[in-house]
Amino acid sequence: MFLFNYRYRLKCIFKDRQLMFWTFMFPILLATLFNLAFANLSSSDNFKKVNVAVVQNEQLDQNPAFVKALDGADNLFVVKYTTQDQAAVLLSDHDIDGYITFDPDLNLVVNQSSLNQTIIRGFLDDFKQSSATITTIITQNPSALANGNLEGISSRTEYLKAVAANQSNPDPVVNYFYAMIAMTCLYGGFLGVKEVVAIQADLSDVGARINLAPTNKLTVFLASIMAATTVQLLELLILLAFIIGVLGISFGDQLGYIALTCVVGSLTGVTFGTCIAAIIKKGEGLKIGILIGSTMIMCFLAGMMSANIKYTVMTKAPILGYLNPANLITDSFYALYYYNTHTQFFTDILLLCGFTLFFSSVTYFVLRRQKYASL
Amino acid sequence: MVINVKNLVKRYGNLIALDHFNLEVQEGEILGLLGPNGSGKTTAINCILSLLKYDKGTIEIYDQPMSPEAYAIKRNIGVVMQNVAVFNELTVYENIDYFCGLYVSDKQTRKKLVAEAIDFVGLNDFKKFYPKKLSGGLLRRLNIACGIAHKPKLIILDEPTVAVDPQSRNNILEGIMELNRQGATIIYTSHYMEEVEQICSRIAIMDKGKIIAMGTNEDLKKMIKSGEHINLELLNPEEMELSEIKSLPHVISAELTDHQLVVKSSRGKNNLIMILDHLKDQNIGIGKIYSEPPTLNDVFLEITGKELRD
Repeated sequence: MFLFNYRYRLKCIFKDRQLMFWTFMFPILLATLFNLAFANLSSSDNFKKVNVAVVQNEQLDQNPAFVKALDGADNLFVVKYTTQDQAAVLLSDHDIDGYITFDPDLNLVVNQSSLNQTIIRGFLDDFKQSSATITTIITQNPSALANGNLEGISSRTEYLKAVAANQSNPDPVVNYFYAMIAMTCLYGGFLGVKEVVAIQADLSDVGARINLAPTNKLTVFLASIMAATTVQLLELLILLAFIIGVLGISFGDQLGYIALTCVVGSLTGVTFGTCIAAIIKKGEGLKIGILIGSTMIMCFLAGMMSANIKYTVMTKAPILGYLNPANLITDSFYALYYYNTHTQFFTDILLLCGFTLFFSSVTYFVLRRQKYASL
Repeated sequence: MVINVKNLVKRYGNLIALDHFNLEVQEGEILGLLGPNGSGKTTAINCILSLLKYDKGTIEIYDQPMSPEAYAIKRNIGVVMQNVAVFNELTVYENIDYFCGLYVSDKQTRKKLVAEAIDFVGLNDFKKFYPKKLSGGLLRRLNIACGIAHKPKLIILDEPTVAVDPQSRNNILEGIMELNRQGATIIYTSHYMEEVEQICSRIAIMDKGKIIAMGTNEDLKKMIKSGEHINLELLNPEEMELSEIKSLPHVISAELTDHQLVVKSSRGKNNLIMILDHLKDQNIGIGKIYSEPPTLNDVFLEITGKELRD
């Protein structure tokens, strides 16, 4: 009986074109639009190395320490060694942000003042300060050189060890996609509403017919919910494959945990719909309206429309973030992508399980009744 | 006894939908539940089927108390609801198979039953059609097939011919009689008295949540004073005195509309001859004449003081 119902409910869901559009096609279209809209957003935030030219002359040849220091800063600079004239041309063509020349002192030539020029200036100041310190020590205490006390002066020792708080580069775009996936999970509520309406005698004629049959209503309902969750999960996996494979959005490499988030998110979404359908006594239109409205508000607060909203909620009213299933789903993906530990991830998953249990319980207490006050 | 309902009371707030409703249904009969809209027919059916809560009373089906968990009883009941109750996403075949499958789990048996149900309602050419592609009449037939495919012993049909064209209506009524001939006990609710008169072996007339009269078609008509309706077309009605017609023996009422005289008389012999003699004495010419036996509407009118179709 369970499989019989499950099979027919799958058929009913797959053949409901309107439902399939909103739960499957709409998120894919939205993801595509997000990708088009946010294509350049993350690249603009990435640090680009500063292009700098160094004029080759005799003074430079006499300062191998400077060349060594510049080579050591290859994560900051792209260095070109040129003549004075070539450097001037590159600067005027904006191919470089500035050029360095020993004439005889260390000079920086720029044609504007901005972040990149400040970075070059900072590097040169640091080098000059170190050189001056060494010169002072040698002048005042020549034996220091002989004793080898200056051997390590040019090397920098970091006494603070940098530990990465995240395993990926910060990317403001991914949060929009995570929030959109949260929306898709909660759109599973459409399926939940459909299944409750189909089984309640006071909500539909087919529901009345099912209630007349010699079968346990909750068994039929369980099969319906499993079918709804199966469809929702399938849709979600296709959406994920599309976002990762076609749009190139990164979700990290923890596939098992990603799948777990999808399963729990789908269950939360579907049971959210069953709960709304069970407790709202008015027509199906109102149930759907409330579902869409509440989902949109939750996704808005989870940062689907603006990442700042999510930040504001988490700083001003963090409890609201924990009471928002859309935010918890978004955070789960975020935690997997950024953090090395799973503390935040499992906190989110546990809270989502709590919501699923709550929605399921409410649905059960409404649906378990066998007789109706009115039809 | 198939159904035994005693003192059923159902209230919606202050409104009493069923007021100590009693009903007994015998095996093999077609019982018509006749009443105007809002008289409580559908409420009574829903209570009997344990869909609706009720405030008081007992319901037994096949001598067992009826409840939502009475699966053994439910297995023998087929219901054709007033509204078409099918899934728009499933084909004709799939719909019948699904609803039959709620009663019959064996796949082979179900396949045979579904084929027979499709054959019975004449939807062989529409097996792969989706409900939205079917006409109103065909949809009603599908609705019936979904309710009877599992071959129930008791079939309850709640106004199955609402909004159906005359040809489809006749097909449905013939089908119901055929189901009865095959051994099913049938409860048929309707507010169309002609249908009830045509197919039911016993009729219960409902009003305000109560059964106000019950019996065979003939029994019910014998309960009332009205015998027949005599319709006469008068050629010179201006010369007729209506009060004299009303004073004739057995005449209950007389109405003259334009050239049409309608006389309702109580049971008695030679009513028509008496009227004709009187008109002849008054030198009133007569065109067409016809006489109708009393209808269930007359029964309802006499008992409640209002028309069945009000």
